[in-house]
Amino acid sequence: MSEKKLFQPRVAEVRKVAHDIYLLQFHQPFLSRNARAGQFIEIKTPFRPDILWRRPFSIHNVNPDDGDVEILFHAVGRGTKALAHLGPGDTIDILGPLGNGFHYDDELREAVLVAGGLGVAPFRLLQRELARRGVPMTMFYGVSDEDQFCGVDFFDAHVNLKLSTVDGSRGYKGVVTDLLVEYLDACDDLAHKAVYVCGPTPMLRRVQEIARQYPVPAQVSLETIMACGFGACVGCAVPMTHPQPGVKEYYLTCKDGPVFNIEEIVING
Amino acid sequence: MVDLCVQIGPLRLKNPVMTASGTFGYAEEFKDIVDLNEIGGIVTKTVTPNPRPGNPPRRIVELPGGMLNSIGLPNVGLENFIREKMPFLQTLRTEVVINVAGTTEDGFAECVSRLEDVDGISAYELNFSCPNVNHGTSYSTDPNIAERITAAVRRLTRRPLIAKLTPNVTSISEIGLAVQNGGADAVSAINTVVGMAVDIAARKPKLATITGGYSGPAVKPIALAKVYELARNLSIPVIAIGGIATAEDALEFMIAGATAFQVGTANFYQPDATIKIKKGLESYCKEHNISRVIELVGALP
Ligand SMILES: Cc1cc2nc3c(=O)[nH]c(=O)nc-3n(C[C@H](O)[C@H](O)[C@H](O)COP(=O)(O)OP(=O)(O)OC[C@H]3O[C@@H](n4cnc5c(N)ncnc54)[C@H](O)[C@@H]3O)c2cc1C
Ligand SMILES: Cc1cc2nc3c(=O)[nH]c(=O)nc-3n(C[C@H](O)[C@H](O)[C@H](O)COP(=O)(O)O)c2cc1C
Ligand code: FES
Repeated sequence: MSEKKLFQPRVAEVRKVAHDIYLLQFHQPFLSRNARAGQFIEIKTPFRPDILWRRPFSIHNVNPDDGDVEILFHAVGRGTKALAHLGPGDTIDILGPLGNGFHYDDELREAVLVAGGLGVAPFRLLQRELARRGVPMTMFYGVSDEDQFCGVDFFDAHVNLKLSTVDGSRGYKGVVTDLLVEYLDACDDLAHKAVYVCGPTPMLRRVQEIARQYPVPAQVSLETIMACGFGACVGCAVPMTHPQPGVKEYYLTCKDGPVFNIEEIVING
Repeated sequence: MVDLCVQIGPLRLKNPVMTASGTFGYAEEFKDIVDLNEIGGIVTKTVTPNPRPGNPPRRIVELPGGMLNSIGLPNVGLENFIREKMPFLQTLRTEVVINVAGTTEDGFAECVSRLEDVDGISAYELNFSCPNVNHGTSYSTDPNIAERITAAVRRLTRRPLIAKLTPNVTSISEIGLAVQNGGADAVSAINTVVGMAVDIAARKPKLATITGGYSGPAVKPIALAKVYELARNLSIPVIAIGGIATAEDALEFMIAGATAFQVGTANFYQPDATIKIKKGLESYCKEHNISRVIELVGALP
């Protein structure tokens, strides 16, 4: 795994790509060469010294040829709303690459990507890594309302894509995990398949149930509150499914994760 | 050239910048980001005789100007600490201070007695003050117990002994005087301030343990008042802790009487804060024609 470093790149562009969702692009050759899918960076919110902690964001896309890096973010609170207002030339203070990233088995014959809302963020880079390994991909991508979709054209061109919306405004009407169940039911053989999932907690819990039931291996990219992002604060604890009581009962999302085998962790909340 | 050396009783630091326990891991977490040997002293995360898993989530809350934590002193326990964490610490060319705590009165002595056989330790810091552990505060709120523990540890070691104090008491000087009597070479203060936050949507406390410890820039004025009080009333040196994020913050504490200081919460959001503070201190001294940083200590009229 690559060393983490502090960088102060300039913003190339912040572009609105969907409802309350923005793409932030900056030039950082080291990150673009070394970051792996599922890893993240921590950004100190510029011009806002009152916002104490850095904010964690998955690495959405990199272009090692020109050294560019992209993150995709939802403007939900103080920090992300401030980021949405940045413009070309503004300096951002970032730390990364952080975390472990997705892992692959050499035997992997098909990957099933399940994205809920902004959970799609790490999948652009995952698609690239899996494509390089020649692994075919099916992707189920669900949001509550169609104006929240990002990058549908890209994914449609590169993976077997199925969309869902809760309100039925586009694709299947319902939750994205229904599509996963339907797909798994139709498979004769689940050997050498793996599920990759990122999204809101209730969806992760449902995927955990599904993965146990079939069974099929699944990796989850988890989000918890983080003060540091690199193992210093010990604040990002997530309960282990098989703890050693009184000795070791928690993983750290930032260091042991953010990607976990879904059966290793207790998904609460 | 500015002389940044300070003397904490028998412990000599090449500069007054230290890291605060529990905010710098076991230093290895920071090795990609800062030159660890540039830091005056590194204080490790509290180690206890037996492993501790720590508290259930949620453990941390961000607040305006600070944060709450209820981590619960998770650590691998003394023996694993020596095996897993000491080898890296022993490679450092800076002073390594091991912060210890016990869940019983004897736990402190148990840690120190075992660590006496281990090389590469410059001093011990006794954590009398973690508010997130059952009974943790009674050590530091009861001057008799604090003195007894300090004296018991003092008999076991010639290494410098720092007693870390909590601000959550009526009189911090009373505790400071007690550990001074017990044989401490220095005190460090403050640990976190007991605090709480409520989620009004869920109508529940934000922390799983309900209350936790408040730290960060917001606690600096509280820490300054406590450090000032200790420096006036004690004859042993005071190491300042609490909301230090910049060289200006550190200077305030030194002028108020601190001989050295520890950087805590700032390490989380500015992982190279220690190095920036050291450089800032050096520039301030140059600008003001101060040749030895210790000239600043207690420079209040
Ligand atoms: C490893 C990791 C990767 C992430 N990747 C992305 C990404 O690619 N795109 C994206 O938009 N978001 C991502 N997030 C979530 C993002 O970090 C939070 O949305 C952000 O920190 C909110 O900051 P804020 O100041 O805008 O919100 P605040 O004002 O701090 O809070 C607004 C709301 O967001 C919640 N929140 C705050 N911090 C987090 C957090 N760390 N995780 C989850 N919820 C949080 C709060 O509880 C609150 O409900 C990721 C989080 C993690 C841990
Ligand atoms: C997340 C966190 C963990 C901490 N863990 C410890 C610890 O293990 N032992 C200890 O003596 N102090 C611990 N502290 C207290 C700090 O060392 C320091 O005394 C306090 O945070 C005040 O300094 P600050 O405002 O610079 O953070 C911890 C503080 C934080 C924020
Ligand atoms: S966020 Fe600090 S240890 Fe994980």
